Amino acid sequence: MTVAQNDAAPAAISVRNLDFYYGAHHALKNISIDFPQGQVTGMIGPSGCGKSTLLRVLNRMYDLYPGQRATGEVIFDGCNIIGPKVNLNVLRSRVGMVFQKPTPFPMSIYDNIAFGVRLHERLDRAAMEARVEDVLRRVALWPEVRDRLRDSAAALSGGQQQRLCIARTIATRPEVVLLDEPTSALDPVSTARIEELLDELKADFTIAIVTHNLQQAARCADQVAFFYMGEVVEVDSADRMFTTPREKRTQDYITGRFG
Amino acid sequence: MTTHTTTPTVQAAPCVGARWQGNSVSAIRRRMVDRVATALCWAATVLVLLMLFSILFVLVRNGVGGLRWVTFVHVTLPPGQAGGLANAIVGSLIQTGLAVLIGAPVGLLVGIYLAEFTATDGKLINFVRFVSDLLLSAPSILVGLFIYMIVVVPSGHFSGLAGALALSMLVVPVVVRTTEDMLRLVPLAMREAAIALGAPRWRMILFVCLRAAREGVATGILLALARVSGETAPLLFTSLGNMNWSVAPGKPMASLPVTIYQYAGAAYADWTALAWTGALLITAGILMINITVRLGLGRNRK
Repeated sequence: MTVAQNDAAPAAISVRNLDFYYGAHHALKNISIDFPQGQVTGMIGPSGCGKSTLLRVLNRMYDLYPGQRATGEVIFDGCNIIGPKVNLNVLRSRVGMVFQKPTPFPMSIYDNIAFGVRLHERLDRAAMEARVEDVLRRVALWPEVRDRLRDSAAALSGGQQQRLCIARTIATRPEVVLLDEPTSALDPVSTARIEELLDELKADFTIAIVTHNLQQAARCADQVAFFYMGEVVEVDSADRMFTTPREKRTQDYITGRFG
Repeated sequence: MTTHTTTPTVQAAPCVGARWQGNSVSAIRRRMVDRVATALCWAATVLVLLMLFSILFVLVRNGVGGLRWVTFVHVTLPPGQAGGLANAIVGSLIQTGLAVLIGAPVGLLVGIYLAEFTATDGKLINFVRFVSDLLLSAPSILVGLFIYMIVVVPSGHFSGLAGALALSMLVVPVVVRTTEDMLRLVPLAMREAAIALGAPRWRMILFVCLRAAREGVATGILLALARVSGETAPLLFTSLGNMNWSVAPGKPMASLPVTIYQYAGAAYADWTALAWTGALLITAGILMINITVRLGLGRNRK
């Protein structure tokens, strides 16, 4: 069991001795990992190994489902966010999440972004319009949608929808952005655009991305964590992880010997 | 035109000969079964359409004569005098309108509860759904008797409001069912996306889920309206009917179905004619609601 060796940046989120249960199923076993500030942490591993589960702990998404519980510590901004008395709505505005499938709300492009902002801030019309334009520019969607902000978001292509969802997430100005296989439903061109986007976003956000695409992890991530059977087997810089992994299981996985 | 390779020409022959025939015993049998089944399906379809159109035909033939100005502006009068259906038409509009105003919000809230709060209380939810389904199939005359017992008897008189309450009890289960079904079609990922932005649950339900399901929910309310606008039994012991002009919800109120019920069996030709016209009016109204629903849904699917 290796804890993150990345001492260049302070941790935005530190996970310590985390256990997670789906009812009786023990899905995460004594996990410890740091998510360094301003870096992209890629999470890889075979299906069902706990990567997405960990993401859903970081914004307490599991709270929606009775029977799911976590024990241990997840330190964010000095607080244990899996402890009691956490304002979940505030937590989720500070730790945003983007899902595997694009999930535009059944409203206009503009309102998709304004919906999240209105939950946490009171902006006048001009400030809201500026915010919407700003985030749409950051996800490189502005030129494509500037003339149809009032049109339904459902009319956008899959790749555009996913960029809209990222814009929606960063519009509430979170500190951490969680991405759960954000490109697995997209074509290669859209995927490349999202990957470029991640590179720009990490200047302002700490990013955790779950991916089944090892090349994607190698391209985008500063730090990579390999998950297997509910454990973090190895955490290292992307370079070292894909060239000289320390653990045999990591070696086997990245060379395609199991998975 | 490709420049790199030349595509060889292919000889095409007609698809005949032993390998194209399929005349084995089982193939012939399959073909016969297919034809018989297709014919039966067609026959059944034609039979149903024939019944429907014969009803419409008879309604139009007997009712169209009463579609005169006087029918819409005059109240029901004793036989022999040129009366209309104005009080019944307005009474029906008031009672069904009130019934939807009362029943739809209740049904909406119960439907939301059934669809959105599954995690909290499984047993209670199943019980509520069971009761709602029972109500959906309850004989409507029992609903009328129930309102008679709890509203008409204590208040001492029949009233349009009692009629509306009886109809609203039929609106509720229809709206509950469609609201729940439509909300369940909203993908889980969309709910999670709203929660992940820090939305409290009520905002997620109101502004994301209900919004995604709004066409379906509106359809349910319209279907409920169509369902109750032809109901007679719940009104017999509640709003009773009224030969005179009455729009006060506290007084007995006329309605098209009850007027039809009273007039259709009468011995006077002008009354039966008006009953036909009333039936035509209700049918046309329900048909229009259903067509609206169809058009709305069709637009939604695109």
